[in-house]
Amino acid sequence: MSEAWQFYISTLLVYLGVNVMACWGLNLQFGVAGLLNFAFIIFQAIGAYAAALVTLGPHDPDSYQDYIFGAHLPFPLPILAGAVAGGLLALFVGVIALRRLRSDYQAVVMLVVSLIAASIATNAVGLFNGAPGLSLIPKPLASTLDVSLVGYQWFYVGLVAVCCLIVFVITKRIQSSPFGRSLRALRDNPDAIAALGGNVGTLRIRAFVIGGAIAGASGALLAGFIGAWSPASWDYRETFVLFTAILVGGTGNMLGAALGALLVPIAFLEASRFIPSFGRPGLVEALQWVVIGGVTLLFLWFWPRGLLPERKRTYTVPEG
Amino acid sequence: MRVLAPAIGFGLVSGAILAIAAVGFTLQFGVTNVLNLAFGEVMITSAYIAYLADAAGWPLWALVLVAAVVGAIASFLLNALLYGPFIRRGIGLFGMLIVALAASLIAQNALQIIFGARFLTLRIPAGRSFHLLGMVFTTAQLGIIVIAAMTLLIVRVILRQTRLGKAMRATATDPALARTCGVQTDRVIGAAWAISGALCGIAGLTFVVNLGSFQSTTGGEILVPIVAAAILGGVGHPAGAVLGALTVAMASELSAAFLDPAYKGAVAFAVLILVLLWRPQGIYAEVVTQKEAVA
Repeated sequence: MSEAWQFYISTLLVYLGVNVMACWGLNLQFGVAGLLNFAFIIFQAIGAYAAALVTLGPHDPDSYQDYIFGAHLPFPLPILAGAVAGGLLALFVGVIALRRLRSDYQAVVMLVVSLIAASIATNAVGLFNGAPGLSLIPKPLASTLDVSLVGYQWFYVGLVAVCCLIVFVITKRIQSSPFGRSLRALRDNPDAIAALGGNVGTLRIRAFVIGGAIAGASGALLAGFIGAWSPASWDYRETFVLFTAILVGGTGNMLGAALGALLVPIAFLEASRFIPSFGRPGLVEALQWVVIGGVTLLFLWFWPRGLLPERKRTYTVPEG
Repeated sequence: MRVLAPAIGFGLVSGAILAIAAVGFTLQFGVTNVLNLAFGEVMITSAYIAYLADAAGWPLWALVLVAAVVGAIASFLLNALLYGPFIRRGIGLFGMLIVALAASLIAQNALQIIFGARFLTLRIPAGRSFHLLGMVFTTAQLGIIVIAAMTLLIVRVILRQTRLGKAMRATATDPALARTCGVQTDRVIGAAWAISGALCGIAGLTFVVNLGSFQSTTGGEILVPIVAAAILGGVGHPAGAVLGALTVAMASELSAAFLDPAYKGAVAFAVLILVLLWRPQGIYAEVVTQKEAVA
């Protein structure tokens, strides 16, 4: 395989891994706990920013970019910082939005939070350098590892794969734990959970924070790989792509969420990159969004449970 | 005073536009419980068709009519062809929100495919300006306020004086009971979508006239102040929506005048979140429980 192809394939694999992680996080919130988080992408974004801030180094006033709190933390701390930032932001938003609000209003609040975040990030230039975003983010271990460009690409594929594995084990364990069962019960019938003495608000916030932390970690990986991150790349429509992925793959099913991540953000959006550009600038992108929206509607109508439906869980009471 | 009075003037104009939209939004949401996230796109669709009519040399009153008719048809079809079938299929509340967001995305990008991404401007001149108590209005802005007042008056007459209005209020309160009493709720719901759409269309036209120029994505962020105004006024209460619209518009314009204009839009966001947290039932002290969508 030529170097160019290796470069391309490894890049796609990194994107795939990051999207799979994000879809698992969103699936935990939406598919398992029944939370409609239309702001999911901002948790990925805050994780990316946090990771960037702790790798860029102390802020130099003469630099072309402004940001707060710079530091040089060694690998793998930036990824953890991303997860922590995503989790903390989710805790903040969750405590405000998830405790008392009726659920359709919760979804509206999330949509608004997504719009506010974009507005703050663009306008408060001192925070994350405004609309241009941050760039020249050092790549994890790039200076310590003595490998070629392609070699580093494959190292990153491995890194993302390990992170995916960790997230898989964590979310899988959560889903089969008593906590996971409560979350599914919460999704199917919140009143019943409340009647049985469960604390609906706390359960929702816990699922929200875990999902936010996973989103943050995936964002940190993406920022480290691309080396740049700007507010334009995380508007609310990016969240919609992840929702489409989960709906296509199968809501509530981890394998389904991963399949959706492969089919929608990677296969569809990447494959349509090979379509020769035609018409006005922006036409192909507009068509992409129409197709993404259309696919969502088709799946909700014909296959609402997705390609790999969630299996129906049955529990037996141990005798004795 | 030099800053305050003009800011109030701006607030009155944008409040009038927002009031038309919020009344349309609250009427439909109150009757059907469908959170129509594609409302902004219906507004901009009407504005585009009004732009075409304007380019063809149609008079101003005809543009208002065109916008209202286009909005009514678009909104009616949106329910008849998309939302209605999904609701009858028994899709849940969350599924419905995803459907609505998908509709908004598709409509926004379809508009861009049809009309391109460039900014368009209607030929309506701003006219000469009038000074009133320190506020400055152009003829176009005064026209917008008059259109808003007339539109809202007509809506009030329809809701209060006609059988349709009565049936609509009955359906909003309790659809099952209304059906039992012989109200043909499906027709009422269709009418609610159409009337809401007509208001949406007029709001779209006045919005782009006031804004100066518009493009396909202009509809995206209008939704936030509209939803804020409708919920602040209490869902299903047109009079409350008018009050909510004026409050949101004044808050935005005053904060733009005295604070950083960059955050003008953020004020509507903040109002919406605060209202949802502290008073989700709106300024009317009525307990609102979550209802299922009806079609």
